Amino acid sequence: MSIKEKNKATTNWIPLVIRWGGLAIFDVGLLWLIMQLVLDGAYPLATVLLLITVFVTLVFLVERFKAFRWMSVGIGLATLFVLYPVVYTIYLSTTNTGVGHILTPQQAIERLERVQYIPENGQRFSWTAFRADDENIALWLIDEEGETAFATVGNVDTSAVAGQDGIDELDEDGIPLNIDGYQRLETRDVLAQLDQFATINFGDPDVIIRISGLNSAATTQQRYRYDAEQNSITDLQTGTVYTAERGSFRSEDETLTPGFFINIGLENFERFFASSALRGPLVNIVTWNFSYAILSVVSSFALGLFIALLFDKLPGKKIIRTLLIVPYPIPALVSILIWRNLLNPDFGALVRLQETLFGFSPNWLTDPNATRLAIIIVNMWLSYPYFYIISSGALQALPSEILDAAAVDGANVWQKFSKITLPLLLRIVSPLLVASFAFNFNNFNLIYIFNEGNPPIAGTPIPAGHTDILISFVYKLAFTSALADYGLAAAISIVLFALVGIITWLQFNYTGIFEDKD
Amino acid sequence: MADTLSKPKRESGLTWKQQELLGYAVRYVIAAVLIVFAFTPVIWIVSASLNQSGSLVSAEIIPRNAGFDNYRTLLEHQYYPFVKWFINSFKIAIISTTLSVTSTAVSAYALSRFRFYGRQNLMRAILIINIFPGVLSMIALYVIVQQLGVHVPFLGLDSHWSLILIYTSGAMSINVFLVKGYMDTIPIELDESALVDGATHWQIFRVIMLPLAKPILVTISVLTFMAIYGDFILPRVLLQSSDKLTIMVGLYLFQSADYAQNWGVFTAGAIIAALPVLALYMLLQNYIIGGLTAGSIKL
Repeated sequence: MSIKEKNKATTNWIPLVIRWGGLAIFDVGLLWLIMQLVLDGAYPLATVLLLITVFVTLVFLVERFKAFRWMSVGIGLATLFVLYPVVYTIYLSTTNTGVGHILTPQQAIERLERVQYIPENGQRFSWTAFRADDENIALWLIDEEGETAFATVGNVDTSAVAGQDGIDELDEDGIPLNIDGYQRLETRDVLAQLDQFATINFGDPDVIIRISGLNSAATTQQRYRYDAEQNSITDLQTGTVYTAERGSFRSEDETLTPGFFINIGLENFERFFASSALRGPLVNIVTWNFSYAILSVVSSFALGLFIALLFDKLPGKKIIRTLLIVPYPIPALVSILIWRNLLNPDFGALVRLQETLFGFSPNWLTDPNATRLAIIIVNMWLSYPYFYIISSGALQALPSEILDAAAVDGANVWQKFSKITLPLLLRIVSPLLVASFAFNFNNFNLIYIFNEGNPPIAGTPIPAGHTDILISFVYKLAFTSALADYGLAAAISIVLFALVGIITWLQFNYTGIFEDKD
Repeated sequence: MADTLSKPKRESGLTWKQQELLGYAVRYVIAAVLIVFAFTPVIWIVSASLNQSGSLVSAEIIPRNAGFDNYRTLLEHQYYPFVKWFINSFKIAIISTTLSVTSTAVSAYALSRFRFYGRQNLMRAILIINIFPGVLSMIALYVIVQQLGVHVPFLGLDSHWSLILIYTSGAMSINVFLVKGYMDTIPIELDESALVDGATHWQIFRVIMLPLAKPILVTISVLTFMAIYGDFILPRVLLQSSDKLTIMVGLYLFQSADYAQNWGVFTAGAIIAALPVLALYMLLQNYIIGGLTAGSIKL
């Protein structure tokens, strides 16, 4: 059977059903997710997912967009995880998102409205915890008059008495020895999980009972009520009114947590460029960021090219090349961790070797300049094999006639190299040098894993180190500092985006990559 | 000077042959120095991993009581699930590489073989969004994954699948251009005649394109695998519980915990972590080097 006949025979509805069915499931799932996100107030993410859903649906419904079906997964995922993060980072940079300001206003209000307090006229109980077979916790309650009740999440049974509904005999404290389907918890188990139990809302949603101590529980009431008109929150216990201001509900002398994030315009950028407290460390970080990236590229390229030229026609070149490329395939993180340990001032093997040979060794991890030098050397070790490979390849591509002609004209080795080989080679590899500069400019792994950007700069408001580059500073700012400030971190990321973008744009224009190839 | 070659002797008094030999000797010495530079860390950790006394203080180049104790400790470690970390890393890297390279290949096919409205702009857009280094997006990615995870825990924080999807989203990168460029060199007459025979595009892609584009697909698969396997920051930010970590994050945490005591075990872990990538590299060296040079000269 020829392909044509075979295709005719199989042109049936099975692939169509798979396509429509798959599309329907995909659409329903995503629409559900989008609705949930809208309810959370996560509008930007919901919008992007909606766009992706519409795109995928259109592409599979309309025959004219057939080509995009092949790219639907690629384009969809790239929109969600590559393009949207860039847009979202821009958005974050105009907000005060950070510790205490991580939720949307809706989420913050919802959390605050869930807070309960024990009113003075509330009913108080002593309690004993039981665990159900499905791990849910229930309480046996005895109030001040000695009345008993059995409270689960969502229900209180005030008629619970011994001998009925599977409730066993009571012990001398009036607590059942056993309840069917439940296991009575020992005090030590309770102690271990008291914090967790204290967050459970027992009983009817209208009259919530909460554990307030090891021996006490009480009916509670909602503490905060949100007033949408005033955009304020009222404390129902004290009557204090908290108004929304700079991402928190504040009264004159109190701020409620959690807060939420709000738009603060360009304030983060102003802080980045103008805050005097940040200026000291930032000048230091930016200067080092540029010099590190330039020195790294120049030194590793120089070494790689030197090796390529030197061993170009040497007998045994293949073995030498295999041996010299060894650092390339080792995962960079592993190499960096090893170097960090080799240069450790207390135990590092290289440090001890230097001490034996020269009688002293620089403090590779604690002296700012020595650490910077160490980083350049380690980076050289990591990246010269790449440039060696690239340069060897490019050298093969150079027209040998020109060099022969120069030799005939009496040019010496240095003249041939500086006047012919290097300029020709640079034309080929300069896009790679720029790309490598852009990569090193944001080489988080090397900086952070080698020494976490340390040694620290003394007296800065936000932890920063002498070998920190902007991206490692961003990471510390967002993920390791107690003052996690995503907004400011995002603003610095945007500045980095812009820098790398400009550099790459220039490179693209220079190499003419935007000119249509066909 | 033009007649240098014809003169048997130069001013230095050495024959041309002697000059050449001297040049070789000097170059071999330089090669030896460089090889020592390249191998210092490697030799050091191999020796440390075999040194059974284990701590950094007692390290020496040729351990007196060499053995595999550190490797045994590593595989049976009480608090650090190294084996689990390896499995996680492999799982994430293999699934992501497969999905990502597949997506790259089909997208490249469409870009190479279909002519449609917006094709040039789409290619430009792919180039432009990839200007932005992914590492700068980590805060945004963290927030997105956290928001998704509230409703779909499967795609939330501390889940391998959110990592895998993010890695797969890297399919629309410079790789698409490498594969598309390669497919452009495959004569279109091949698929035209298949079209005439009534083959569908999917059949052409599977039967004609995939086998012919194999070299470039192998190259980008290896480079993608190496990049994902060796990634640190994304799993560090997105994964939380100890038994979900990847080997790179695990190794980092392990050595920061108490490296002086753990040195022997750490080096054993570092070697095992590097081995798969080294093996892959040795096996496919020509593809990788070919790919690197091709990528450099074309783009």
